[in-house]
Amino acid sequence: MTTPVSSPVRPSPHGRQQSFTDPRRNGVLTFLTALFTLYCLLPLIWLLINATKSQADFVSSFGFSFGDGFALFDNIKELFAYDDGIFARWFLNTVLYVGVGAITSTFLAALGGYGLAKHSFTGKRAFLFVVLGSISVPGIALAIPQFMLFAKLGLTDTPWAVLIPSFINPFGLYLMWVFAAEAVPNGLLDAAKIDGAGEFRTFFQIAMPLLVPATVTVLLFSFVSIWNNYFLPLIMLKDPDWYPLTIGINQWNSMSSRAGNGELLQNLVITASLVTIIPLIAAFIALQRYWQSGLSLGAVKE
Amino acid sequence: MSTVVTRHKGRQIGWAFVAPFGVLFAVVFVLPILYAAYLSLFQDRLVGGMSFVGLANYTKLLQDPQFWNGVLRVFGFTLIQVPIMLALALLLALALDSGRLHASKFMRIAIFLPYAVPAIVSTLMWGFMLGVRYGLFRSINESLGTDLNPFQPGTTLISIGVMVTWAFTGYNMLIFYSVLRAVPQELYEAAAIDGAGQFRVAWSIKLPALRGSLGITVIFSIIGTFQIFNEPQILPSMVAGSGITTFYTPNLYAYNLAFTGSQQGYAAALALVMAAITIAIAYAVQLRGLKPAREQ
Amino acid sequence: MRLSGTARLLLVALVTVSTLAACSGSGKTSGGEGGAGGDTAKLTVWSWDGTVKLAVPGFEAANPGIKVEVVNAGSSSEEYKALDNAIQAKSGVPDLAMFEYFAIPYFAIPGKLADIGPMGASAFQSDYVPSAWNNVKFGDRVHALPSDYGPAALFWNSKTFAKAGLTTAPTTWEEYYQAAKKIRTLGKDYYIAQDNGDLFFLLSLIWQAGGRPFRVDGTTVHINFSDEGTARAVAFWQKMLDEGLLNTKINPWTDDWNRALNDGTLASQNMGGWLTSTLPERAPKAAGDFRVALMPQWATGQKVGAENGGSSFGIPAASKNQKAAYKFLEYFTHGAGLQPRVDAGAFVPNVAVLKSPAFQSAKNPYFGGQQTGQVLAEASTTAAVGWQYPPFFEWARSVYSDIATPYFTTGKGSLTEILKTWKGRCVTYGNEQGFRVD
Repeated sequence: MTTPVSSPVRPSPHGRQQSFTDPRRNGVLTFLTALFTLYCLLPLIWLLINATKSQADFVSSFGFSFGDGFALFDNIKELFAYDDGIFARWFLNTVLYVGVGAITSTFLAALGGYGLAKHSFTGKRAFLFVVLGSISVPGIALAIPQFMLFAKLGLTDTPWAVLIPSFINPFGLYLMWVFAAEAVPNGLLDAAKIDGAGEFRTFFQIAMPLLVPATVTVLLFSFVSIWNNYFLPLIMLKDPDWYPLTIGINQWNSMSSRAGNGELLQNLVITASLVTIIPLIAAFIALQRYWQSGLSLGAVKE
Repeated sequence: MSTVVTRHKGRQIGWAFVAPFGVLFAVVFVLPILYAAYLSLFQDRLVGGMSFVGLANYTKLLQDPQFWNGVLRVFGFTLIQVPIMLALALLLALALDSGRLHASKFMRIAIFLPYAVPAIVSTLMWGFMLGVRYGLFRSINESLGTDLNPFQPGTTLISIGVMVTWAFTGYNMLIFYSVLRAVPQELYEAAAIDGAGQFRVAWSIKLPALRGSLGITVIFSIIGTFQIFNEPQILPSMVAGSGITTFYTPNLYAYNLAFTGSQQGYAAALALVMAAITIAIAYAVQLRGLKPAREQ
Repeated sequence: MRLSGTARLLLVALVTVSTLAACSGSGKTSGGEGGAGGDTAKLTVWSWDGTVKLAVPGFEAANPGIKVEVVNAGSSSEEYKALDNAIQAKSGVPDLAMFEYFAIPYFAIPGKLADIGPMGASAFQSDYVPSAWNNVKFGDRVHALPSDYGPAALFWNSKTFAKAGLTTAPTTWEEYYQAAKKIRTLGKDYYIAQDNGDLFFLLSLIWQAGGRPFRVDGTTVHINFSDEGTARAVAFWQKMLDEGLLNTKINPWTDDWNRALNDGTLASQNMGGWLTSTLPERAPKAAGDFRVALMPQWATGQKVGAENGGSSFGIPAASKNQKAAYKFLEYFTHGAGLQPRVDAGAFVPNVAVLKSPAFQSAKNPYFGGQQTGQVLAEASTTAAVGWQYPPFFEWARSVYSDIATPYFTTGKGSLTEILKTWKGRCVTYGNEQGFRVD
């Protein structure tokens, strides 16, 4: 018997549907979905158009038409040059926070979600209740107590103040729990244990490969939420060298929208926003093939 | 009952799996909540410092019309926005999974993208686009001869609904979609042999598979909308006369109490009462749905 | 294939973790030795005024033992809360922080700001315009030095005014009212100004009319919106609103506002002098059209000014480098570091700068070559003194819009009623916070 462990989680080249369902495309369905897609894309089109405008063009032209000049590359150049290139530093910080945070939080969620789905233990209900109850507390009101605690631990104004909270993804934990319950057959685990595999070896060698699609989903969600994390870094960090992108962008934006003689940097805010979401798009496209893994699941069971 | 659950020797091995998450969770959430609970028993004055007031913050809160105004607003908002958003997400996920769409890969990405846009940027974009003076609504009003204003006290909440739905539908859609992708192949094959049509397949295979994830998304959407903050916080600096007050949502009220009013104890009490209300509602709606079908 | 993917992820994780460890090791800098003489220190300065940075190179060259790091810790209320948090946590308190004038009492009265008078600041009184100095001095203590200033002035679009048949700026509020009516006839989008509850403008109007609604004595605060000056200012502005002469649909500092200034439909602004430096960015198409004038007066021939905004820097009492901090504070608000900031567009209340020929005679091309410095210098020196802010003003201004918005969106009520409700809320809040307020 070949062990199911070695069966790779690999997308089928054509997707599974074509093998048995009606392949005809449906125009009405496409049209309705496309309408919603338009709703999703409209603001992004606005972003794209306005990233091509200089500051002077931005305040003088209609939002969905182009300005007098095409300033996208000037804007990008200015973006990376402004304030001694602080934007690049923020970008790298964000990459660091996202890289370490998303991987760690996804791993912890997978470990915990699997534990919840496949083991029963005393206090499980209490544990779930505490987690659910805690995230029901409005986060804003916790910011100051969190700040006080981190200040006592000497962690404020260091990257750890952003990283440690990002390791926790309660939604990811629940998703993993549901996924693990669906996607990891108990029979496989039993078989592994009869073969003498320990609990953690079973997890790493049998459960993890089956959880890849879920892991990718949670990883992407963690990625995005850490990338867009704003409130906690704002409270925890005062050293601009450790800022993530969102704080920097907000700071630039608030210079324009606050009474006073702050610089008007709307063109940089918009260009920065565009540059900020491009890596997210890239990550999404890079990860999407992992969702096509229904086939391998079926194969394992045969 | 599954065999794994009953068979293994150490019944507590599950703790080893949740412990790393649990320990960090305690540091990031539980300890600060305990600290907030402690703070909620005190009043912090600018002159005179902290003094113990017992449950006075709680009794004051329960009689605070501004607090209840915000609670009712988010309650009404949740009641309408969450079902609409989740129904859309569900239909989109089924449509994308059906394999009957043109350009489905493109649309899948496009629908998820709004979630990737930072709240500040999305509010900026929507604030502009819906603007009456220079945005889309000027064109709409001029061509239709109407006088619609998406940001006045009666309509602001609808506009916020449009923004929130925009941001989170794709996120929920993706959850449903990845669950559908995990449905074992042989179920479809069996259905195909039985001659079941697309709608039968959707109804009797796909929807049941989505039960567990629907449960979570409902709970988390309720928690999310009850904590709505970014849009009402940013909008007032962008549009005039939106009717957004400092107590527009409970979360915004907590923020203003703690951050500009130096009423930390009161804000902490508010946060805990809000959590109790949220849990009660989440429980009433759907807590049982949280248990994945396979485990029950 | 999958293995290599995993390996790659692991590699990335390892690299980032090790970078992180390296960075956090070097990034942790101590607060400095804080030598008693203030010759060696590492200063942290919180500022959302971008010009402060410009004074650092000169200062560090003159004081080789002191290193200065200027940090934007958020604007206005964000920074105040961050400072409150840092003071409460006894960690990360900056050596210098920026405060709008109204925010000084909030920190100064509970003793969170050092008295910099004995360090030398008390000798500077005559170097600043009177109303600016009045903002930083509390009894015989000095808690901050002014860093920028907002003399209330009238910025008017001469092109729009000309369309309405007006060639000069209104010099009295009566003329302003007449001009508003003429401009209103130009078209449905044309207004002399906007207002949808601009508290700082209303206060500057009251200020100029002689009203002094807040009287602060230590922790006792009297609030009175019925003195003669307040009543006159409120009645006039009420008339402007009642007759529909103001655009109540535009918020200042928003995109809509920028665009309305840009296309000339908003014909004027009563704002602080700092608008001079940002108006060219906000209304680039109106270049050459705007002019600056003194605020309209309550009686012909008068020259009374008021203040609309402005900020200062103070030294938190918890700072361990107070002497060195004061050196830098003096340097960029009063000494050799002032000029680079002025050159970059900072509007400062230092008499020496305002009176200098360079400042007075410079022609501003955006304002059609007008010598704007002259007008703003006059507006600064004529600003009336004696105004006080209550120590809980930061909170008070946040709830003001809650109270004012219903009136501006529905038209039900009046400014007088708004102020009455506002006073009621302030009294309740102030007393809860341990002040004596009536």
